[in-house]
Amino acid sequence: MSELWRLNLAEALIGLKKGDFTAQELTQASLDRLKAVEPKVKACLAVLEEMALAQAQALDKAGFDATAPLWGLPVTVKDVFCLKGAPTTAGSKELKGFHSVFEATVVQRLRKAGAIIIAKTNCDEFAMGSSTEFSAFGPTKNPWDLTRIPGGSSGGAAAAVVAGEGLGALGTDTGGSIRQPAGLCGCVGLKPTYGRISRYGVVAYGSSLDQPGPLAMTVKDCGRLLAAVAGPDEYDSTVSKIPLGDFVNPKPLKPTELTLGLPTELWPNDLQPEVAKVLTEAKSLLEKAGVKLVKLDLPSLKYAVATYYILATAEASTNLARYDGVRYGLRQEGAVDLDELYAKTRELGLGPEVRRRILLGTFVLSSGYYEAYYKKAAQIRRLIFADIQKALTACDFLLSPVSSLSAWPLGSFLDDPLTVYQMDLMTLPLNLYGGPGLTLGAGLGADNLPVGAQLWGRPFDEERLLAAGATLESLWPPLGRPTL
Amino acid sequence: MTINQDTALAVARLARLDPSLDPVALDKLTQDFGRIVSYMDILAEVDTTGVTPMYSPMLEPLGPRPDEPKEPDPQKAEALLAAAPERSGRFFCVPRVV
Repeated sequence: MSELWRLNLAEALIGLKKGDFTAQELTQASLDRLKAVEPKVKACLAVLEEMALAQAQALDKAGFDATAPLWGLPVTVKDVFCLKGAPTTAGSKELKGFHSVFEATVVQRLRKAGAIIIAKTNCDEFAMGSSTEFSAFGPTKNPWDLTRIPGGSSGGAAAAVVAGEGLGALGTDTGGSIRQPAGLCGCVGLKPTYGRISRYGVVAYGSSLDQPGPLAMTVKDCGRLLAAVAGPDEYDSTVSKIPLGDFVNPKPLKPTELTLGLPTELWPNDLQPEVAKVLTEAKSLLEKAGVKLVKLDLPSLKYAVATYYILATAEASTNLARYDGVRYGLRQEGAVDLDELYAKTRELGLGPEVRRRILLGTFVLSSGYYEAYYKKAAQIRRLIFADIQKALTACDFLLSPVSSLSAWPLGSFLDDPLTVYQMDLMTLPLNLYGGPGLTLGAGLGADNLPVGAQLWGRPFDEERLLAAGATLESLWPPLGRPTL
Repeated sequence: MTINQDTALAVARLARLDPSLDPVALDKLTQDFGRIVSYMDILAEVDTTGVTPMYSPMLEPLGPRPDEPKEPDPQKAEALLAAAPERSGRFFCVPRVV
């Protein structure tokens, strides 16, 4: 089997340009790898082999196009992006077999940039979860240890990248859904600023928090993917017109030019020992290279998890009202009236975590509780925003763990939703804030599992964030790929 | 705040869900719901007097778009209707309402 699947995006693009191999050969190599490892990893919900090979053939026929920044590069997209010619399920039985009549803006932009979409990846149902175990179609496995979770909700995307099923991926991040699986699987994941990438054609979860973003093996590759899909879109008025910056070749930042803030609330004493050990070593490598690390406090983060889960579930309960068995998707037959049709369709079609979040969201928005929960949380969100904003004036970026645990065994927390919500503390404040965050591998633990670290940036500062990420990447040991 | 089964069922009705379809799941749901809401009560200790709620992280105000008519696409309308579990001509069908 061809080993071309091992290349990263930048390397593959050079090979394609030089004519060392064709888009078809590269696509076929990624598809062959996918077929070989997919029975173990289960990262994909749909493989678009025919479509991908036809596209690769068309590209080869037309010849290399230097103006197409992702020309001939095989990638995957999370199954929350609408794409013509393939089902879009968002990991839910409710949407089993659903075909969208339009395509997400980012999918159109990927294609326009010359990327070849080879598969749609698994995720927690409607992107609600931190382990991919809440996919209605079964969990994805962590490529480093198939008995463990890959993280979530973009667990399929992260596992696919690390396993070599595509050279890059697009996921979405509402409370850490790109950054946490990237950390647990050992790749790079970027949540751009809210408003950097269009959400048109993305199955909605929490509309003031959702943001699509790239996952890849290197920081540079994430920048290349971001550059291809970011920017204003007439179909999403929340996309900012603030200039993009140079994401492909950001102005480098030397270690001595970097001051990173370490919020005490995100560096607790009870980090898992393997995680703590790797991160202590990673911090020491930064200091040796001249990076300045400063401790600071973000006291409002004590309230971040409760704030987030009130706002996110409120938005989810509103967004998911559309799954009613009337216009598309699953319908439970045999209902005697409309109310029963709605209730049966939703109760039997939606999974337990989604129903739990809809219920919580409905509760916090209901008359009598709105002020005490929803409005209160929205006010505290402003306090958290101000806290993070202030912290980012005292340093260039914040540095934190991505997860207090490395990838945990499948099934560990299925019956304990509150504990899993609390573990999102490392990632979700950034979604409340709206700024960009970048996860990259800090090292491998003694248990041979990846440990990720996360940089938090100021809104619309992705160019510098990518530059800082590349600096850290050059100082930390490469994780490589697991043997599968 | 304490959540009992009656509260859980009342909220479920508002959410157009029906957890009574599975009594075992209803018990677990009520318990989880109660634990999570109790945890959320931590927010009561924060003084938010005079704080403007933040509903979106957008830094720029959203302005109106120009009102530009576009040609309807009959094929798209047909494709949308074709996705319906039940339809009649150009209409979505639902069980009797009255």
